[in-house]
Amino acid sequence: MNSHRFDVIVVGGGLSGLTAAGAAARDGLKVALAATGPGSFVLGSGCMEEQEFARPGDAIEMAEAIAFFREMAQAAGCPFEGGPSEARLLPTILGDFESVALAPRFLWNANPGTSGSTAIVGVKELSTFDENFMAERLNEHASRLGFNPAVRARQISLSPIFAGPITTVRIAARFDSDKGFRSELLGALRIAASGFERILVPAMLGLNSSEEELAQFEHALGCSLGELSTLPPSIAGLRLFHRFRGYLREIGVELFEGFPVVTLNIGDALCTEVVIASPGHPLILRTERVVLAAGQHTSELLGRACAGHDEQIRPLTSAGTVMAANLFDAETDSRDGPEGSGNAMQICAGYRAAIAAAATRGNYAAG
Amino acid sequence: MESTQVVIIGGGATGAGILWDLSLRGISATLLEQGDIANGATGRCHGLLHSGGRYVVKDLDTARGCLAENRILKAIAPHCVEDIGGLFVQCPQDDPAFFEKWWRAVGNAGIPSRRLTADEARELEPNLSADILGAFTCPDAHVDVFRLVLANIQAAQARGGRFHPYSKVISIRPEDGRVRGVRYRNIRTGDEEEIACDMVINAAGGWAQSVAALAGVEVPVLCDKGTLLVLSHRASNRVINRCRAPADGDILVPAGPACILGTSSINVSGPDGLVASRAEIENLLQLGDVMIPGLATARVLRAFCGVRALYAPQESSAVAGREISRGFALIDHETKDGARGLISIVGGKLTTYRRMAEAVCDCISKKLGVESECATDKVPLRSAIDRRTHRHAARLLSQPVAAKLEIRLGREASRVIDAIEARPELAELACECELVTRAELEYVLGNSTSLPAHTIADIGRRTRLGFGPCQGTFCGYKAMLAGYETGRWRASQAATEFSDYLRERWKGQAFVQEGKQFEQLELSQGLYDEDRPVSAHPGEENE
Repeated sequence: MNSHRFDVIVVGGGLSGLTAAGAAARDGLKVALAATGPGSFVLGSGCMEEQEFARPGDAIEMAEAIAFFREMAQAAGCPFEGGPSEARLLPTILGDFESVALAPRFLWNANPGTSGSTAIVGVKELSTFDENFMAERLNEHASRLGFNPAVRARQISLSPIFAGPITTVRIAARFDSDKGFRSELLGALRIAASGFERILVPAMLGLNSSEEELAQFEHALGCSLGELSTLPPSIAGLRLFHRFRGYLREIGVELFEGFPVVTLNIGDALCTEVVIASPGHPLILRTERVVLAAGQHTSELLGRACAGHDEQIRPLTSAGTVMAANLFDAETDSRDGPEGSGNAMQICAGYRAAIAAAATRGNYAAG
Repeated sequence: MESTQVVIIGGGATGAGILWDLSLRGISATLLEQGDIANGATGRCHGLLHSGGRYVVKDLDTARGCLAENRILKAIAPHCVEDIGGLFVQCPQDDPAFFEKWWRAVGNAGIPSRRLTADEARELEPNLSADILGAFTCPDAHVDVFRLVLANIQAAQARGGRFHPYSKVISIRPEDGRVRGVRYRNIRTGDEEEIACDMVINAAGGWAQSVAALAGVEVPVLCDKGTLLVLSHRASNRVINRCRAPADGDILVPAGPACILGTSSINVSGPDGLVASRAEIENLLQLGDVMIPGLATARVLRAFCGVRALYAPQESSAVAGREISRGFALIDHETKDGARGLISIVGGKLTTYRRMAEAVCDCISKKLGVESECATDKVPLRSAIDRRTHRHAARLLSQPVAAKLEIRLGREASRVIDAIEARPELAELACECELVTRAELEYVLGNSTSLPAHTIADIGRRTRLGFGPCQGTFCGYKAMLAGYETGRWRASQAATEFSDYLRERWKGQAFVQEGKQFEQLELSQGLYDEDRPVSAHPGEENE
């Protein structure tokens, strides 16, 4: 009768929440994901830096979590390239290089390479990205780093299509929704790309485009294609969010989006209800278990500061007892130190919490 | 070699005021500043245009001086002043006898004031504490300090006055017992230049002591650090003062979209390397909370410190220079030290900067044998915007954007508007808090203004870009690209400028440990430099 009853509710739609929802669903559980919105995906591109894998922690667990995440990303149509030992240098928005271990495929492609000719292609109407600045900076750094990428700057104009200054979000939304626009963009880029083996554009090729679509676009372009990080909003990050949520819905995860979780109803040391502040009246979801992946909102939701975690990463009160026997916290700080905010750490924390939640099926003995 | 009658050292309100006053009197003058405009105490204060209420109980002369200057500035520089008025609130913790003393003194000083009940006060300022006993009104106002200094310099430049920013004086040349010139180094290029002159005016504020030392004389200055906090929104519409003997954390000044709470008062050894301590910040917030509950948990955008350079002769008999008032001191080094042509001006307040400049210029006139009278109390600092420019702006820009542009640039706005007319895409906003268009960015970076910006922070002082919650994270990047695209910087220099600018912005937020501004700071550091986050070491002072 009550359709709002789940085996696991994951609270939070960041990398850790998405991973947790995917992992719990893989284990055959009935899963709900409550997310107010894309959160920090607006800000970052989902890249994982090399140094994230050099931090102390459980390497085997991390490897398992990352392997699962990559499988999920592949299935969601936004595969990641690279690996902890395959780091490569990718351009930052200041035209420096940073060492990245894992990145979505088309960002991974943005390495200017050690051979061949590369053009950075800007858009005239997009004032927050300057292809000349990027090219000048990258050439300077590359020669210092001992490789010679010979990056050139090229520009296209979208002026009859867009009047006046535009943002990457407008370009990306149009890319998703308008086939005609996509082919006009392709035409303009093809001209800019002539004579180059590789072009790099600001990340703007769709908010929801799959790897397959982008590969087709690249094929039609006739040269290698890469996307560069931009000032937020990050199109690459938003694209990850949209692909993942589409995938989770496909595998049966129920999504509750747009409104915040305001309360966790905890009684007899069990969290049985999650309350979402939907307009009109609150939406109450009943659940067997809860994975908390709410980042900095965690202590708000718990109603008090958490004084550490037990072995099943359940939050503890200051008296050392678990706050709820079925509440698992995908948080990174206490186990991984103050630097535990990287993307790889988030994925690992989400995965860990989902595994802990799945393992305690029907067994809530306090730890 | 450049030659002039007077060299002024120090581009704060006082130095800029002297440059303008001399230029009006027809005396040629050059102003040297080691940084950009308002680099010292002027740029690091509340921006409070005092009505005199703060000093009225203890120092009636200073209070009267403030009141007179308050009226003059509102008349000659309306574009720099937000005439919002102020309140002195009576808190139950404070001495009721002081309220009565204050009320009587205000009458004696002639400061217009009304006595309000607690309810009346809260009707004007609903955020005031429910505990207050009452309040008095006063004609306090907010003054945009950067705009004020700019206005003085630009008015002077129009009459032949000269200004060299980033020019640090390295020697003062004496000859036959009098100053003949100064040598300075451009700290951006490293080039050294010399200027021949008849007189040197030391208006270097916190640096007055080291400037005097270049001429082999002494100016005893006591540096008193004040820390201030910028809060993310206007917590009041008026200046809120606590009605008690002046102490820490008892003034809140609404400034544009934000407000500024201050200040502390701590003796320091010099004006450089100041750091706001966590204890100071906590204390200010707690004190602010007494007047306006909730301030203690308000979002703090940044903390900054300045020094009040107080004139502190070890024994007054040792001072031969004439002391003008308790507020400021004019030291004639000819009578005091036998150094002809050298004058130091120290102490004083932002509100009385024009009066200080007047006193210095009267003295200069006498020494140079020039018959002249001060006119800075009557001549407007800037002429009103013309109708054509106003209509043109209204046609091309939305009302708030046009209004901000006009108030910042006055008649010069026409240049920006012409640029937008020619290239409409330049109307795009680079800074969304202060509504700075791309065209205005290019204008302040270009050479058609008499005071071009050399750094991104300079752009901030001219436009307020980066003063809002993002603290330059987004608008600073756009400013960097504008500097690159207009040819002011090559790519690597642009990136260095931006990174220097960000580091300075981060320093002001280093104490933030939680809340929205902490997220903002993390975002900024994550975007631009994850590996080298600014370490916060609260309590570590350079003292």
